[in-house]
Amino acid sequence: MTKKKGSFLAVLAVFLLSLAVPAAAYGHGVKITYQSKTVVEVTALYETGEPMAGAQVTVYAPGDPSTPWLTGACDQNGRFTFTPEPSKPGTWDVQVRQAGHGGIVHIPVGESVAETGGGTYTPLQTVLMVACVLWGLVGTALFFAGRKG
Amino acid sequence: MKRLFLMTAVLLFLAVFFTGCGAQETTEPVARTGTLEFRANGEDFIRQGFVSKDGWALTFDHVYVTLAEVTAYQADPPYDPEQGGAVQAKAKITLPGTHTVDLAEGGENEPPILVGKVEDAPVGHYNALSWQMVQADGGPAAGYSLVLIGKAEKEGQTIDFTLKFEQEYAYTGGEFVGEERKGVLVENGTADLEMTFHFDHLFGDAETPLDDGLNVGALGFEPLAAIAENGTVDADLAVLKARLSAADYQKIEEILLLHLGHVGEGHCRGELL
Repeated sequence: MTKKKGSFLAVLAVFLLSLAVPAAAYGHGVKITYQSKTVVEVTALYETGEPMAGAQVTVYAPGDPSTPWLTGACDQNGRFTFTPEPSKPGTWDVQVRQAGHGGIVHIPVGESVAETGGGTYTPLQTVLMVACVLWGLVGTALFFAGRKG
Repeated sequence: MKRLFLMTAVLLFLAVFFTGCGAQETTEPVARTGTLEFRANGEDFIRQGFVSKDGWALTFDHVYVTLAEVTAYQADPPYDPEQGGAVQAKAKITLPGTHTVDLAEGGENEPPILVGKVEDAPVGHYNALSWQMVQADGGPAAGYSLVLIGKAEKEGQTIDFTLKFEQEYAYTGGEFVGEERKGVLVENGTADLEMTFHFDHLFGDAETPLDDGLNVGALGFEPLAAIAENGTVDADLAVLKARLSAADYQKIEEILLLHLGHVGEGHCRGELL
């Protein structure tokens, strides 16, 4: 390849690139983000299997058992969906009522074993653990003190 | 050396001993309590009367139920009457004594009958309730767990009825289901729980479609009208068993066991005692 040819190709490449960049900049830009959420779907049926269509729904969030967090109604198939607040992990209670009959379902949301208190110790366990550590330290110190003596 | 070892051991033992005792004393929770009321409700069906599935207009002078071992639970996990089993509870409160109440007493706008209350109930959410319906020792319902006294009218015919049930039952329900949430007791506050008795399951309800499960399973009043003598039905379970058809008597047994006891609109689990 001659020097002249090489220069031409370089200029051509820069030109093509310069075309390419504005093309991207002038397109209809979109910004797509996502957030993963838990959606709860409740299905309410009578004992006969008939959907509780239009039944009244009341949702209670964890930590506030007296105040409804959300109210609504089941659809024709007896279904009702809602998205619990991720900042409120725990048991969400959903009450469904119609024509003098109803029930309540308790739905755990966002709770892990650690969050439910599986990793705590009783005061007695804590004292015993501290005692064992102290005893180990004292024993070690005495062992070396004895060797020195 | 031995002396140093011994002294260290003794000091360590004393430290652990007193730390342990101290920890127990300081973590003892101060009891926070409130008043928990227990109420019984025969609903508007009893206080106002209603029309049975077969067209009898029913009114009630007295509906006596005798209640014992009335117990509220802070159930964890929540109790499911469909599953049954014992209620697992963080706390529970039992109303002392046996109480006969008249569900027909009081006006339609008055609150359900107060059976009794416990004034030092631990705070928390009482989300399960159990009670027994037992034979009364004395009074107007003596010897029976449930007595219904009233009048049935249809097309100019009037029948006075007294229905007496000697069978005893135990009912256990989960959380109250209704317009408002019940059983949430805060410190120095008052909360209530309700034993609800659904008599529309026994007689059916003209305002509910006839093919609805409630009416299909209900006895209605016609079978009772058929055994009336001189415009009166006065029967206990033994009389009903002798005079009703086997199918109708079985309906009564099933309704009282499976469909009478509720917590608001939520079904209870029933057991024979």
